[in-house]
Amino acid sequence: MNKLKTNKAYFATYFSMAVIICLVLIFTIMEKSFINSSNINNLLSDTAPLMIMAAGMTPVILIGSIDLSVGAMCSVSNVLVVSFIMKFKDTIYADWFIMLVTFVTTLVFAVIAGIILGLIHVKLKVPSFIASLAFMSIWNSAALLISNSPISIPKKLWGTIDWYKISIGPLGYPLVIAFLIIIGYYVILTRTSLGRGIYAIGANERAARMSGIAVDRIKITVFAVNGFCAALGAIFLMAKAKSCAPTVGDSFTLMVISAVVLGGTALIGGSGNILNTILGVFIVSIIKNGMNIVSINVYWQKVVFGVVVLIAIAINTDRSSRSFIVK
Amino acid sequence: MSKNILFSAKNIVKSFHGTQALKEVDLDVYEGEVVGLVGENGAGKSTLMKIIIGVQPQGSGEMYLRGKPFQPHDPLEANAEGIGMVYQEQSLITTLSVGQNLFFGHEKEFMQMGIVNWKKMYAEAAAVLSEVGCEDINPRKKVIDLNFATRQMVEIAKVVNVTKEASTDGKCLILLDEPTSVLNETEVKRLFQEIRKLTAKGHSVIFVSHRLDEVLEISDRIYVYKDGENAGNMNVADATEAILYERMVGHETNSEYYHLDKQVIPKEEVVLEAKDLGCRGKFKHVNFQLHKGEILGFCGVVGSGKEEICSVFCGDESPDFGELIVKGRKTKYSAPYQALNDGILMIPMERMVEGVIRGLSVEDNIALSNAGRLSKRGMISRKRVSEQAVEWIRRLRIKTSGKEELVIQLSGGNQQKVVFARVLASESDVVILNHPTRGVDVGAKEEIYGLIRDMVAEGKSVILLGDTLDECIGMSNRVLIMRDGLVTGELDAAVDAKPSQVSIISMMV
Repeated sequence: MNKLKTNKAYFATYFSMAVIICLVLIFTIMEKSFINSSNINNLLSDTAPLMIMAAGMTPVILIGSIDLSVGAMCSVSNVLVVSFIMKFKDTIYADWFIMLVTFVTTLVFAVIAGIILGLIHVKLKVPSFIASLAFMSIWNSAALLISNSPISIPKKLWGTIDWYKISIGPLGYPLVIAFLIIIGYYVILTRTSLGRGIYAIGANERAARMSGIAVDRIKITVFAVNGFCAALGAIFLMAKAKSCAPTVGDSFTLMVISAVVLGGTALIGGSGNILNTILGVFIVSIIKNGMNIVSINVYWQKVVFGVVVLIAIAINTDRSSRSFIVK
Repeated sequence: MSKNILFSAKNIVKSFHGTQALKEVDLDVYEGEVVGLVGENGAGKSTLMKIIIGVQPQGSGEMYLRGKPFQPHDPLEANAEGIGMVYQEQSLITTLSVGQNLFFGHEKEFMQMGIVNWKKMYAEAAAVLSEVGCEDINPRKKVIDLNFATRQMVEIAKVVNVTKEASTDGKCLILLDEPTSVLNETEVKRLFQEIRKLTAKGHSVIFVSHRLDEVLEISDRIYVYKDGENAGNMNVADATEAILYERMVGHETNSEYYHLDKQVIPKEEVVLEAKDLGCRGKFKHVNFQLHKGEILGFCGVVGSGKEEICSVFCGDESPDFGELIVKGRKTKYSAPYQALNDGILMIPMERMVEGVIRGLSVEDNIALSNAGRLSKRGMISRKRVSEQAVEWIRRLRIKTSGKEELVIQLSGGNQQKVVFARVLASESDVVILNHPTRGVDVGAKEEIYGLIRDMVAEGKSVILLGDTLDECIGMSNRVLIMRDGLVTGELDAAVDAKPSQVSIISMMV
């Protein structure tokens, strides 16, 4: 009798796959070089930061919340990493040690920021939408305050971020890490009590609480992990560009959320499969890469993304319930 | 009293998910009279009101208004025919003024060139209020600044206004669903005066309440419903509280129904203790001990504080005063999972909202409260989740097509059994049952009573808030009676010495 549910899940998977195939065909017809190996490699390696951030966002949306500050969090982490590196680059410590310390520091910062957002949402009962909107403003400005222009990483340290270029078969190292994170989260979501709690909270938070699920703790954990993923995405962006930019993450907020929704996760929470987020991520990065290849103006690209998000949400929203109230 | 029938309902039947809420009930209303409608929770009073006003259709049966067939599809249609309803929950918009509320949705009538003529609206509002005898309510006042009785009158005025205009003879029928539940004594008196003014003008009223004294005071005729059936229909002169009560309850405690043969004597061991427990504005000075193997019943009307006490025990709310001692240890909970760690779990009253997660399968619902215990090294075993579900489906005879069926597809009684399965699987030894048989039909009720007896036989302790008084007395070893946030009495309820309902009611109200 679970038909209803599984049909919907299959639909999300097949639909996303069909969209991917269509997009590839369209872009190939428009511009042959879309399908050549260098662009495909490029596309795959570019996808990693987005995928990591979407991995963090999926559970946030599964519990029925949202985090609009991920892009800003990514920006601020991005400049933090590089400014830490610049601070310590002339010390006596080994290069790899400097890198390790700055990475860990940035990740810890992002986790704490996620916990604070979670606490504000859970304890002060501020809707996650508005709390994260406020944090978006805070982190955007913080990034600019730390460094209002891009900083490049000195050549002598390049050796420490070469790992970004390593490939395992056709897949770049970063993408492999992103896949591993998604698979790890998939196991957590489906096989642990934390994961069951996440789905239960999204489906009916009140019942979850009354069943003895530690709702507050789970929600805060989810936001903390989301912060972690945003910072990891920022580190990947830094490694790819060998520099930082205070606005690098801004466009990611919309891309991350649209990837998750395109992957079939319901915005009201409680249903979705993080593996399908992979497909959503590819839809987004194919559109982005394809539009670059066929040289569509950057501002038009943003228009297209806005429309894509609206369509994705319109398709995925379950309007069947009469008590469905939109605010 | 004129003898023209204004409204009548014949052989109304209604069922929800296989549970019969109404089984061929009748109701007649004459012009200018107040008809009282009484019955226990789940007797079908509110269901009939909703059918009359058009919120939901009946399964079968006919309704007639002024002799003509009447079948509203929504409340607006009923309003247009001259029937209006004041709902149990207040439906005024508290941030708007009285006048704005009265004409809510009808602002067009006061528009001049696209702008509302407020002066005209308030003048009209004053006229409407005086129509129902409330000249002293200022229509410019915000509803939030009014007391509940006055708000109730504004609602009635609104309903009268909407329906009176529509009905052909200017006579309307007003349905009042538990209008006094939020009022104090003087406010009730005031409301009754206003109702009498209404009927003096030829309007009719159906007055639904569970407070028998009030029904006796205001009504001309009284209908008693029981388990969805008509259990009596009498003139007020022939009725007393005792007669009404007997009709409502129908039978004295039936030993088989409540499995009294399985009622056991509790052990000495105290598992839960409340010492001078209090919650600001809800209850205070609550003292009692719950023993191992005991069923402790809480009786009291809505608002007596019994629900809030449950919230404190299950960890949903923190007490403001006093001590909560669980298994000899003083504790304080801020969330239900902490209580669950101490082996306390509640079966909540609102099954759909708090008890089950409708979009999840039966097996996932059963595993909600003990997922942690089904895991090995942090990983939950799917096999154990489904084995557990199969086991409980068999033991509780849950009617389902399989463990993977979504809970939303089960009937009310079976959904409730899923909740019981979840609580039993959690191996909690103190179980709080907050209206465990609400919205469950008679057959399933009896099974649930059997389940509760088995739980206690296994050494669990139970706090029971009965859906009916009869149930509370029938199942409990001991009952605590509450009124206005205070414990007003404690009675033993041994198998052969169950207290009478009348004696408990005298302490409840």
